[in-house]
Amino acid sequence: MQRQLFRSFIAACLLPLPAMAVDTDGPETKPIEQPSHDHRGAKQIALENGEGATITLWKPDLTTQTLILEHGGITIPKTGIDNYHVVVAEKDWGNQKEAVIRYEYMFGRPSKQSPSKLTTVEKTDFEIVPDPIPREHYRYHSMQTWGFLVRLHGKPIPNLELILQTTNGSQQTAISDRNGRVEFQIPDDFPNIVAGERDKRSAQLTISSRYRKGDIAYQTQLNADYRVNPTHWQSSQLGLWVVGVGMLAGGYLGRTRKIKEKRT
Amino acid sequence: MTTWINLSLLRKLVQLSAFIFFVYGGLITGYYLEDKISGALPALSCAYDFQGSDLCTLIPIQHQMDHRLGEVIAKGGNLMMGIMPTLITLGTFLLFFVVLNKAFCGWVCPVGTFQEVMQLIGQKLGLQRHESLSKKLVIRLRPVKWFMLLVLVFGLPLLTGIGMLNHDMGDPFCRICPSRILTTLATGETSQLTVDTANTTTLVLSVLGDFLFGLMIALALTVRQPFCRICPMLALHAVFRKLGLLRLIKSATPRCDRCGLCAKACPMDIHEIHTDMQHPNVTFEDCTLCGRCVEFCPDKDVLQLKYTFIPIFSSSPQYFKQRKKSQTQWERKNLISWFKQARSKTEAKAQ
Repeated sequence: MQRQLFRSFIAACLLPLPAMAVDTDGPETKPIEQPSHDHRGAKQIALENGEGATITLWKPDLTTQTLILEHGGITIPKTGIDNYHVVVAEKDWGNQKEAVIRYEYMFGRPSKQSPSKLTTVEKTDFEIVPDPIPREHYRYHSMQTWGFLVRLHGKPIPNLELILQTTNGSQQTAISDRNGRVEFQIPDDFPNIVAGERDKRSAQLTISSRYRKGDIAYQTQLNADYRVNPTHWQSSQLGLWVVGVGMLAGGYLGRTRKIKEKRT
Repeated sequence: MTTWINLSLLRKLVQLSAFIFFVYGGLITGYYLEDKISGALPALSCAYDFQGSDLCTLIPIQHQMDHRLGEVIAKGGNLMMGIMPTLITLGTFLLFFVVLNKAFCGWVCPVGTFQEVMQLIGQKLGLQRHESLSKKLVIRLRPVKWFMLLVLVFGLPLLTGIGMLNHDMGDPFCRICPSRILTTLATGETSQLTVDTANTTTLVLSVLGDFLFGLMIALALTVRQPFCRICPMLALHAVFRKLGLLRLIKSATPRCDRCGLCAKACPMDIHEIHTDMQHPNVTFEDCTLCGRCVEFCPDKDVLQLKYTFIPIFSSSPQYFKQRKKSQTQWERKNLISWFKQARSKTEAKAQ
């Protein structure tokens, strides 16, 4: 099993949100060390304060499975299906509903399902949805701009404040547009980056929001990992130079062949 | 047939549509289209293209060599479990491949289309050569595609999975493939046109990839399909070419040996098209089923594109006449001839 360090579900307790703090009774997570290297196997997420939460695993084909909190952690079982899965933890306090969502890529046989099925379906009353979710060969990286939708019962909510926080200490706010969409540029906040050297560190980002409708107050969070942007050790300028050298070489080869042919 | 309507024009329209579909298809038909089609397309459609609509089959094969078969060999597991994913990928590949055979190269592949566009630009700039590559050079180049397939697509990823090479050698072909840079640049994404200084392997592979991309652009101005000649996809197609329903069929006549117009028309310089008198199926390993040889064959029904046993396009003297005329007219129009005309007009006015 690949080493996974999933820091949080409801990360509010790890990341204090001054403007919109979630109840201290809410779930909280810590990483679990997983020594196995089978990246196709089960994944574990540590969850603290998750007592009483309903935890649901959504598979790519939209079938669901209830997960159980055990010893402060959740195990996403090996489903054997490739592609994104979603873990949703919900707490219903009557007049207050909390939800935390995490999209997790699992490996297995091709699911032949589009992840858009998972992002489109209503998984909890109030949710923040990646728009789009990173596709093959892409991940959330610092300095990149990514979009998110905020929805209540599947309908977009305009003019709502969303807060992005990272475990590296950054915070941003954005207001959803009329389609309920916001864009965040993920902060480049990893400390001690050495230019030219690959940096495999990852950190956690949390996008959260709250909304009140009638007597019910909703709170939601979307958690994901993000990594150091590869531009710290990849140079487009140098790449362009090398392409230029290649073009010169191609031009030279073409020209010498032409001269040879003229001679013969 | 009017002068300008011909098989080449039809092919270019198909190529253009395929390019738009495979490079930008996700934008038109939905962001995650690639998850719905094959994931094993017999053409170089890149997974790094965020808007693309399918994945080239060489991508999963490299991953499976690295993460499945290699791991099974290293850990001593059930070998069948290690091979099965690759067999499934090849099975999916074959489902598509059987329909069009090697025409995926000549009619669908975005990299092939790009090289033809460059050729067109070269020709209009007056750079394009009319002569083919020499027979000697063509023969020398042929093994390179097999090397690319066996070493870069199967060998090195497998050794990586076994643990003999570092993880960055897990997908060496993808790292040097021009489709990765081309298709991402086409969508405005520059992240793949880089030099990666993470370690020696990434540095070498990224420099090689960028260099190859530049080389391909410049060579395509003067040489027909330079990258196609060494493409591992062409080699993979060659393995299964007998299974394809679309074929190039030849009914040789004694004249064939002397004429050779088909070989001259061939963008891959397959001289055997006119020298081979033995085999009716002349879908050679380098053939991309573009159909140019059929267009430029002056003899009736000597060369045919057949779908199973049904001829769908046959050579004919009438077509040849018109096609040659339109080609001559087309090639006459370029920047050099335009300058010459302009100069002679100026001189005539001055006199």
